[in-house]
Amino acid sequence: MAASDPTVKTTRAVDETGERSSRILQTRDLHKEFGGLTATDTVDFAVEEGELRCLIGPNGAGKSTVLNLITGQLEPTAGSIYYDGIDITSLPSHERVDRGISMKFQVPTLYEDLTARQNLRIPLQRIVDAAEFETRTRELLAQFDLLAEIDETPATLSHGQQQRLEIAMAMALEPTLMLLDEPVAGLSVEETAEVAELLRTIRAQEGVAFIVIEHDIDFVETIADRVTVLDQGSIFTEGTIEEVKTDPAVRRIYLGEET
Amino acid sequence: MNGYELLNVTFQFLESFAFIVLATVGLAVIFGMMGIINLAHGEFILVGAYATTLSAHQGLPLPAAMLVGVVATTIFGIVLERTIIRRLYGRLLDSMVATFGISLVLVQLTRILFGNSIDQVSTPFGAISYGSYSYSLYRVLLAGAAIATLLGLYLLFTRTAFGIRARATIQDEETARSMGVDTDRMYMSTFAIGSALAGLTGALYAPARASPTPEFGSEFLVDAFVAVVVGGPSVLVGTPLAGGFLGLIEAFFTFQWTQFIGTVAMLVAAIVMIRLLPDGFSGLVESVRTSWRESE
Amino acid sequence: MEGVRMSSEPNSSLLERVRSPFEGPNTLGNSNGFWLTFGVGVVSLALYPVLFGTYAAGERAVFLVYALLGVSLCFVWGFCGILSFGQVAFFGVSGYTFGIVGLNVSSYTGVTLGIVAGIAVATLFAAALGYFMFYGGVRDVYVTIITLVVALVLKTFMDQTAGGEWAVGEAELGGFNGMRNIPNLAIGVGDIGIEVSRAMHYYVALAALIGVYLGLRVLVNGRFGYAMVATLEDETRTEMFGYNTTFIKLVTFTLGGALAGLSGVLYVTWGNYINPQQFAITAASMPVIWASIGGRDSIAGTIAAAIVLQWIELQLSGEWALVIVGSLLVFVILVMPEGIAPRLRTFVLDRQSSSEPTTTPATTEEVTD
Repeated sequence: MAASDPTVKTTRAVDETGERSSRILQTRDLHKEFGGLTATDTVDFAVEEGELRCLIGPNGAGKSTVLNLITGQLEPTAGSIYYDGIDITSLPSHERVDRGISMKFQVPTLYEDLTARQNLRIPLQRIVDAAEFETRTRELLAQFDLLAEIDETPATLSHGQQQRLEIAMAMALEPTLMLLDEPVAGLSVEETAEVAELLRTIRAQEGVAFIVIEHDIDFVETIADRVTVLDQGSIFTEGTIEEVKTDPAVRRIYLGEET
Repeated sequence: MNGYELLNVTFQFLESFAFIVLATVGLAVIFGMMGIINLAHGEFILVGAYATTLSAHQGLPLPAAMLVGVVATTIFGIVLERTIIRRLYGRLLDSMVATFGISLVLVQLTRILFGNSIDQVSTPFGAISYGSYSYSLYRVLLAGAAIATLLGLYLLFTRTAFGIRARATIQDEETARSMGVDTDRMYMSTFAIGSALAGLTGALYAPARASPTPEFGSEFLVDAFVAVVVGGPSVLVGTPLAGGFLGLIEAFFTFQWTQFIGTVAMLVAAIVMIRLLPDGFSGLVESVRTSWRESE
Repeated sequence: MEGVRMSSEPNSSLLERVRSPFEGPNTLGNSNGFWLTFGVGVVSLALYPVLFGTYAAGERAVFLVYALLGVSLCFVWGFCGILSFGQVAFFGVSGYTFGIVGLNVSSYTGVTLGIVAGIAVATLFAAALGYFMFYGGVRDVYVTIITLVVALVLKTFMDQTAGGEWAVGEAELGGFNGMRNIPNLAIGVGDIGIEVSRAMHYYVALAALIGVYLGLRVLVNGRFGYAMVATLEDETRTEMFGYNTTFIKLVTFTLGGALAGLSGVLYVTWGNYINPQQFAITAASMPVIWASIGGRDSIAGTIAAAIVLQWIELQLSGEWALVIVGSLLVFVILVMPEGIAPRLRTFVLDRQSSSEPTTTPATTEEVTD
């Protein structure tokens, strides 16, 4: 991989490897410090269009930091991020969303006072006309098996339903890259299976690329195309789930940490 | 600028510095430790000033009267904390609005009870004369009181068991509680300290400004708020730096032009500071400190 | 907020279609009962001059003017989370600007220009302050402190503007004595126009208040309103739905400034006079008191509280008024932090749902005059 030049800030349609690649996202030497602590160190990674990438690693490995750098909630200390061939490093979050990056937060953060329909309106009204709200809302809720809950407020929804509504809201923006921070944390085995199934369906239908942070290796195994292992803020290794699982070094990092 | 003028501007600076620091400490302790902006802060100062002045009129010597002022304000603060403020922890904006209500009530009650002003206690110590100028010695000594107060706070928060527990509580209330710190009492004590400091400010300024009126406290508000914003959440770091910085600017412009221009210059400086450093001096010092630690 | 759901049903009556733009999850009262109460309130306010005479109405018009100032705060605080103590700053700036223009440009042209200038200057001032704060990353309590400091500094500044050197043309700022002889409200060009008498001022203020109320209801239940409320509830989240929340806060704050400016123009044309006390801490606290007591996310509640509390203050008219109003504020914050109107609504809803769960629950905000 070519060394990056941090001074280059201009946009470009083709990254410097020359290939007009199918890469939707590319980070270069992404480096983030908090105070004096390094959260991520020279992270270089790429995600292909329509790919589902899982980001795993022990606590404090910098997974969430990477996600927040991609969404623009954090500004990198150094390095750059290309999205669809364009340097988005200095764009504010909302402009990245306009370009097709969507995010589902780890903790459900639905709007408490609004019903499912009204919650969905918040993303929907940005991309469709008022006349289409209802149709689009029903489509999305049907797709996420929440149609019966259309007039419910979040407080009356189960944890699994809340997670699905969150994903529906993020998907309402019709993203090309979807970031999920621990989508199945705290869910039962059945609910986890449902979410896995849902992700597979969405991918089959819409060709969205995903980056998923997850601790649950079984879940990762059922959904991931490729897995990136982060450790201490750097990419430790990358590969298919089989490659990663059989890597003794990965097992060593994980031993005692998580399952 | 000749020597006398230099002395003038120095005194002016000391006075501004003392005023800003003393106006701010009580507010800053409560804000920094508890995250509460006490909009009745000015009225805590008012209580201190009135208690001092009234007990001096009763024949108490000034130092004893000042002590009465501090004690009265502390008790007053504790009562308010136990009855009202305590119920508003974790509700930032609500606590601001409630303390604002308290402030209105206190100003009006003061007016009803004591009228539109009370007789001032005369300023002690007389004046220092130099050349054709003279300056009130007491007002200069207030700078010493400001520094002594900051030093006292520094010792309190770094050298005593109370201070260590207090800082633990701010950093992580849950952990502090699990380690046996009574956080409820911690907050009460912090509020009491903040009240005592406001009372001290009232006591110290009771003889130094014009006759106390019910608006006495509100004269401190602008400086106190501006300094808290510019200083940021850390009292020990933010307040003295804000006092020094704002005081210097105010003193220079007041010396060059008028008191009003001085105030305006100070506010403009504060606005620029907030734009540049959203976390104030505390934030700046924090990041300088971490990067310095990094390079070690 | 569950319970009142009646919009978006396809086969709605004409009445419901007329009502629908004013209704939605972001305003509290959406039921028949609410609109009935609202109607009764409007009618009784409209009848006040008839019942109590035009002189009394002329005197009381200021209640409505100040209620509008309360609404300007309710809008930025209750719907976007910006607790501004500086609404009086925009109010006062607008009033002084109107005075300066109105005193310098004679005839109807001057007054008409003054209205535009007053509101425009207040709006620009709010926009500039808002830009500085929100784009500078200033948040929460800091916003509150800065807006309060702005009001207090304006007071200090205006207090020292006594004397001839502080005159803009014909208009003397007048220091703490204030600016006098400000013309009445009027509209027109040159010699042709209509002047609003003191008695008529009441109706103008009432019309402005109702107009702003209904307009804001449409706004907060529309696209921008959803964005505002989303920003209020969770800024980061809303940012990740592609909203520029900084800009949303700026627009909200600027609109709030414009409304306060409108209120300021109506104030100076009512009393023909303004002084720096309008920026003082007591004045700055009033909108906060009304919105807190009435209910900051209820515009109608804020209006009702503003009118009722001013009336109470007038009745007490003595030195104890502020003590009582201040204590009431503390009491409400402690006992029903969301304010009276939302509490009343919950109360009515609870009672209705226990007796007749199928019909639309009535909502009420106290409407008194």
